[in-house]
Amino acid sequence: MADNNQNGCLTVGEGVKLTGNFVVPDIASISGTIEGELTAREILVGSTGVLKGKVTADVVDVRGEIHDNLTANKSLFIRSTGKVIGTVQYAEIEIEKGGDLQGNLLKSANGNSAS
Amino acid sequence: MNMFGKKTDNENSEFSSEEPISNEVVEENENFESATQSSNVSLKPSIISEGFEFTGDMKSGGSITVDGTFKGNLSVQTLLIGAGGYVDGTVTADSINVKGKLSGTVNCRDVVIGGRATVDGALSYSSITIQRGGTIKGDLKRK
Repeated sequence: MADNNQNGCLTVGEGVKLTGNFVVPDIASISGTIEGELTAREILVGSTGVLKGKVTADVVDVRGEIHDNLTANKSLFIRSTGKVIGTVQYAEIEIEKGGDLQGNLLKSANGNSAS
Repeated sequence: MNMFGKKTDNENSEFSSEEPISNEVVEENENFESATQSSNVSLKPSIISEGFEFTGDMKSGGSITVDGTFKGNLSVQTLLIGAGGYVDGTVTADSINVKGKLSGTVNCRDVVIGGRATVDGALSYSSITIQRGGTIKGDLKRK
């Protein structure tokens, strides 16, 4: 993990719990738990990862859980183990079979730019 | 002359009796069958073909393909909405495959939303798949 330590990236390992507001310029890779606000360019939630609060990113890839509020300005991928519950805003969405999506869905207008 | 006249009359009547067996009549016959034999699931699909608009309630233990427009209450085993198809109303189904448009209240076990499909409304499901590019708006609930 330390080898591919890149500028502007956040990696939260399994078992790590963070609370607060986080702004990540590049990729946030979450296998632990984050409560609060998270803003990043790209968010990858691992199968053990849990996000609670307000989550905003261009690209979101979910294998774990996201609760409460999610905004994906470009694309949102929910993998088969992924779970998203709450208010979701997206431009483009893909859900694998088995993925869980519950709550209120909104499609934002800039959906065409994503393709 | 008389015989000829009669012959053509017969031919005409034969033609006219064949003509009405168009899509629409076949559909309604099949729907009727599937409604009466709801225990038998392996029926041929009923088809609402392109350009055909149906308003009302439909119930079937089999499958329905909608390439045209359906408005009303629909209760089926399997629903396929084709690329040009549109379903609006209350839908209860075991499995739904959307390639066109679906809006209203939907209750199903398994739903697949294609890449060019649009789903709008309240959706209750057990299993969901959305292909990239598919659009879904409204409330989602997992059973």
